Amino acid sequence: MMSFLAISVALGQQTITGSVSDEDGAPLPGASIVEVGTNNGVVADFDGNFSITVGDDASLSVSFLGYLTQVVAVGNNTSIDVVLSEGGQLDEVVVTGYGSESRRLLTDNIASLDSEDISEIPTPNVFNTFAGKVAGVQVTQTNGKVESGFNFRIRGQASISASSQPLYVLDGIPLITYNESSNGAPTNPLITLSPNEIESIDILKDASAASIYGSQGANGVVIITTKKGKAGKAKFNLNVSRGVSNPSAYRDWMNAAEYVEIFLEAGRNTFNAGLDFTGFVEARLDRYSNGTWQQGTYDTDWEKIALVEGSVQDADFSVSGGSDNTNYFFSVAYNETEGIVLGNSLDKISARANISTAVTDKLTLNFNLGYGRTDIDRIANDNAFVTPLQAIAQSPISPAYVDGEPFTNTVYVNFLLEDKYANYNTIIRRNTGKVSADLDLFSGLTFTSEFAYDLYGQSEDQFRGSLIPFMSTNGSGYASNATTENYIVTNYLNYEFVNDYSTLDVTVGSSLNKSKRRFSSVSGEQFPSDDFQTIASAAEITAGSGSFTSFSFVGYFARATYNINDKYLFKAGIRRDGSSRFGENVQFGNFPSFSAGWILSNEDFIGDNIFSFLKLRGSWGEVGNAAIGNFAALGLFGATSFNQRPGLQPTQPSNQDLSWETTTQTDVSVQFGLFDDRVTGELTYYNKDTDDLLFGEPIPGSSGFTSLTKNIGAVKNTGVEFLLNTVNIRNNDFTWSTSLNLATNENEVVTLPNGEDAISGRNILREGEPISAFYLVEYAGVNPDNGNALFYDADGVATESYSADFRKVVGNPFPNFIGGLTNYVSYKDFELSFTFSAEFGASIYNAGGRFQSTAGDWFDNQTRDQLRRWRQPGDITDVPAAALVGSNGTQHSTRYLQDGDFIRLKDLNLSYTIPQDMISSVGLEKARIYLSGINLLTITDYDGYDPESRADTFGGGQTFYSAPAPRTVSLGVNLTF
Amino acid sequence: MKNLKFLLIIFLSFGLVNCESELDIEPAQSVSIGAALGTADGVKKVLIGTYAEAGQSSTFGGYSHIMSELIGNDDEVSWEGTFLAPREMFTKSMLSDNGLVGGHWNNSYEVINQANLVLDNSSNISDATERATVEGEALFLRALTYFDLVKFFGGVPLRTAGVTNYGADLDIARSTADEIYAQVISDLTDAYAKLPTSNGEFADRYAAQALLARVYLQQGNFASALAAANDVLQNSGHSLASSFAGAFNNDSDGPEDIFAFQVTSQDGSNVLISHYADQPYGGRGGDIVVDTYRTLFDSTSDVRLGFFYYSGFNGGILTRKYTNEYGNVPTIRVAEMHLIRAEANFRLGSSTGLAPLTEINALRGRSGAPALSSLSLDLIFNERQLELGFEGHILHDKKRFGKSIAGLPANSSRLVCPIPQSEMDSNSLMTQNPGY
Repeated sequence: MMSFLAISVALGQQTITGSVSDEDGAPLPGASIVEVGTNNGVVADFDGNFSITVGDDASLSVSFLGYLTQVVAVGNNTSIDVVLSEGGQLDEVVVTGYGSESRRLLTDNIASLDSEDISEIPTPNVFNTFAGKVAGVQVTQTNGKVESGFNFRIRGQASISASSQPLYVLDGIPLITYNESSNGAPTNPLITLSPNEIESIDILKDASAASIYGSQGANGVVIITTKKGKAGKAKFNLNVSRGVSNPSAYRDWMNAAEYVEIFLEAGRNTFNAGLDFTGFVEARLDRYSNGTWQQGTYDTDWEKIALVEGSVQDADFSVSGGSDNTNYFFSVAYNETEGIVLGNSLDKISARANISTAVTDKLTLNFNLGYGRTDIDRIANDNAFVTPLQAIAQSPISPAYVDGEPFTNTVYVNFLLEDKYANYNTIIRRNTGKVSADLDLFSGLTFTSEFAYDLYGQSEDQFRGSLIPFMSTNGSGYASNATTENYIVTNYLNYEFVNDYSTLDVTVGSSLNKSKRRFSSVSGEQFPSDDFQTIASAAEITAGSGSFTSFSFVGYFARATYNINDKYLFKAGIRRDGSSRFGENVQFGNFPSFSAGWILSNEDFIGDNIFSFLKLRGSWGEVGNAAIGNFAALGLFGATSFNQRPGLQPTQPSNQDLSWETTTQTDVSVQFGLFDDRVTGELTYYNKDTDDLLFGEPIPGSSGFTSLTKNIGAVKNTGVEFLLNTVNIRNNDFTWSTSLNLATNENEVVTLPNGEDAISGRNILREGEPISAFYLVEYAGVNPDNGNALFYDADGVATESYSADFRKVVGNPFPNFIGGLTNYVSYKDFELSFTFSAEFGASIYNAGGRFQSTAGDWFDNQTRDQLRRWRQPGDITDVPAAALVGSNGTQHSTRYLQDGDFIRLKDLNLSYTIPQDMISSVGLEKARIYLSGINLLTITDYDGYDPESRADTFGGGQTFYSAPAPRTVSLGVNLTF
Repeated sequence: MKNLKFLLIIFLSFGLVNCESELDIEPAQSVSIGAALGTADGVKKVLIGTYAEAGQSSTFGGYSHIMSELIGNDDEVSWEGTFLAPREMFTKSMLSDNGLVGGHWNNSYEVINQANLVLDNSSNISDATERATVEGEALFLRALTYFDLVKFFGGVPLRTAGVTNYGADLDIARSTADEIYAQVISDLTDAYAKLPTSNGEFADRYAAQALLARVYLQQGNFASALAAANDVLQNSGHSLASSFAGAFNNDSDGPEDIFAFQVTSQDGSNVLISHYADQPYGGRGGDIVVDTYRTLFDSTSDVRLGFFYYSGFNGGILTRKYTNEYGNVPTIRVAEMHLIRAEANFRLGSSTGLAPLTEINALRGRSGAPALSSLSLDLIFNERQLELGFEGHILHDKKRFGKSIAGLPANSSRLVCPIPQSEMDSNSLMTQNPGY
């Protein structure tokens, strides 16, 4: 925060006037000019001008947050114009909650990204641009669908049933992040954000930073700050790009001849006695191939029908500028993305207006308004038969179309029918707005009041025509609308007290957050023809629903930071938070935090050495996770019906003590700068203990419910993060700098109720193991004598039998080592930057493997590696004998579990800036052409589609016909004028 | 002065925010347990909710019938569908994590718990007749559910009190099959006394009696089965539908329905359509296809032999019993009572109500089948198959007649469902069935 220093001493004086500006010539209003060695200081006005009366032999220290401080000797000058250059990494401004700080003096662990890190990357989801760029932060889009939800994990997974997404705050507004998808696969509620309106992203990683958000900060906080105008002439920026996408991977599937070979063999081999399977198989092959398999007429590559070439187009425009007391930023952005899965695309438009004006010299008013609209053509979720990716299960002997219509006798429902005769469209509209006032009360005391509003609406319309599989009602339609409103009222006071050796900064405030959600939907059937697709045309309305829910949070917070001589830094904070969600016995909680820092490099006893900067820092705090349902503590009955008569049924068992999960985090780090800050870095150790985990504890179904939500158990995440930024070469023509981040994470379930395991599907919660560790029978290969699958029993002996008792912990769904490497090279007018992102230690379970890689258990097309199946006694192989409906090795086991380690070239940008003299004649200030790409290269041993893709309808680190991420290359132009 | 004005504004703003009353929010789509069970009206609504729960697809909305048909059939039918869980049942190789098994178990206990809650709180109903009816219906639903559980799993946990405190220890051991049967019979006898003679589409006295007949027959208590079936046939006012087809695909109960679970386009489930019907009827195109079943018939004039059609999807032969997407799921019908009375009479050498041969021939006559000249147990077993095919009786009939299924003896452990893995994992007192 700026310090408003007052007055001067008057002795043996001269008056110096001057101005302070940045390297572009723009004035820096509010810059601080202090006579070195005294309390005498003034502040530059809105034009950057100042006037100060100083003594003899004075020097002026001129500083502004984010810029390198300069000391200028007055000498005989009466007028001094100072130009400040932008500071390095250590001088950047970091946004904390309700405030900001210089990184040099920060005692909390906050990572930052700026606008350049996230721009010009061809993807509609701005969060994809973060991958590999922040230590300890893992960002993964669930799969390759354009609207797909994504996971954002800061320092590991710290919750089991409550959300593990961080709190997203946009200009002080906590954003609505409900997933409103009606088909089971999540949509991304933040897809409306556009990189061109974002100035910076600050990620609050430790508890001391996040505790000011109290019961919502346990998974960290992502603060998004939008751009503001700067005083000066209006600056225009136009960016246009167009790119082509392809799936980042394909798999090897059998062709028609191989398919026939495998299934005839599987039929002959089958183990079920007494039934003629060969005849049965041939009849099936006839049906699936429309009678042509013996001639080999069709050899359809279904994978290439489902995965197609896509495209990404972007166009954005912004204007920013300002005058003495007002500055503004306007922007508009448009993105059109054709997905790599057939039938999946979106287009989005977003716009923003940010205006700030000084009404009086004490009162500034700010107005931020953002609007985003995203229109998505969606496809089914991964588990639906009509999702395009499940087409890989179709037989290659089937034609895709017969006489222009999708072929109907395919092994499974032909998704092309859904593609041709059904629509599924979703529109997301989001309005975020904020009105705030900053008032200078008296010296050092500022009052800020904010009113913010977030309006999120998602409407979904589905129509399934009369020729759709399983359609018996002349078409069916569904329309739904979900609207959520969030109101946030925040008031806080900030007081800054400065004396000649220390600075004290205190913030005290309160915040009220109310949210209301309204949902309605209607279904209809019996349409006159497929030309009528809205519910108004349905002859019968078959279902309708409407519901309403809300929640609120009330919080009080206080924070104090104390800086002694820029050497000793202390910070303490507390937040008291209450919510309508918590049980009546535990409605309010207190979340304290402390942090401290010691800048060793400013100590005299350190002296001169290679460290231009050395700081030790530590923090401790408690934060909460309140992402439990809105009424999770109550015992409830809900409405039901029988023969259209109203009834009541139990819907939720009660738990009066249900409250938030608490995360206590300790963070210790060393920050260093070498060779005049040419090399900077940080080494951090953190320990996150999460207690009171919200958990649907499985209870015996014989009680009437199968799970009960409790605060039980504890989870621990520990790890080390390493960050290194180096400027390798810097001279006139050539610069090369590198940023490396590495992070380990060890995730462990510490306590479970009664120490008992909780098993759910393929995953287990067990003390001492990672959350949702894979719990599977170990596959032991194939018996060379008879081709039967072998499994390791509980004692580790290979046996042909299979039992759930043989299960063991065999893998971790989350990586324990992640990292990223970004290089930036510039040579004259060319610039190249690229980022690698890597993850190690995670395993992936292919739940679809039981259909895809079974050497012919049922008529799904098989992966080509199944040709390695056992055929005669003595064969040594890992694929059991082909056996139709034989369940030979198709049980859940490690046969379908693989390592998901990978290194990925996540993004790359190569650009050429057209020389100034060539463009200034047309009035352009800067023009750049660039080539940019995402997911360009993947190095992995995983043979599935994509080591980052997971199923979108069930969790536990499983993949199920999940689409790979797109690889996109685009060409663009960026103009500033 | 200006500063003071601003200070006042600040304090007012803080005051506005000091609204802890903002934290009191009531859910809009739910009520508390006390509100639901504490009034007469609430208890009656919870009873209706119990019917809705029992009518879900996992149990009496269809899978109860389908599980019996898949496990109990040999090559009379064939499973053509893609789901793994039913296929495990058809190949008699169920795994303990079978989704249908788990669904059946959990849904059954939801019904049992809700019936228990109704019985625990029925004292809130002050009118004695209403209270008796409500209790009778809850007892009927509870007995219906326990009977299915004991037939599929053997002995299971016996709960006769509703659970409201889920913080308590919920582990419970299995009771024996005999204990479950004893509870079922006690519940139905009690229900018979409490229920009125007719009760709309809900359970009435004769529904309880008809179910009792079925239970006694399964136990081999033929004398009691005979008395119960006879009571229903003589006094309930129900009768055979005039045509065989008239007994099925009804939107509302017909004369032959003693009890059926109601399905409408808005509520209720009929998953029999999904697996037995072709796509134009809302099914999946014929997951369960008829195979050698049709060879059981002895006459082409029997309309039941023609009660099939070809699937347009997979060419298989499908039964016409399930072609109405929103038709009710028949649970007990009059034809079954005739078969029970005739079999019991035959075994006991009696002729209560009607001589067994006459009774069987009258039933056959309804479907245009020629009269038989004499009876044997095999013929009775066969007639049950002809009349009640695909209605969920076959597994239990074959077991009680000692017939082998797909080469397995009737007492094979593979014909008994495994206790679901989820129950084994969470209930420390549970023991698994042999062979799993």
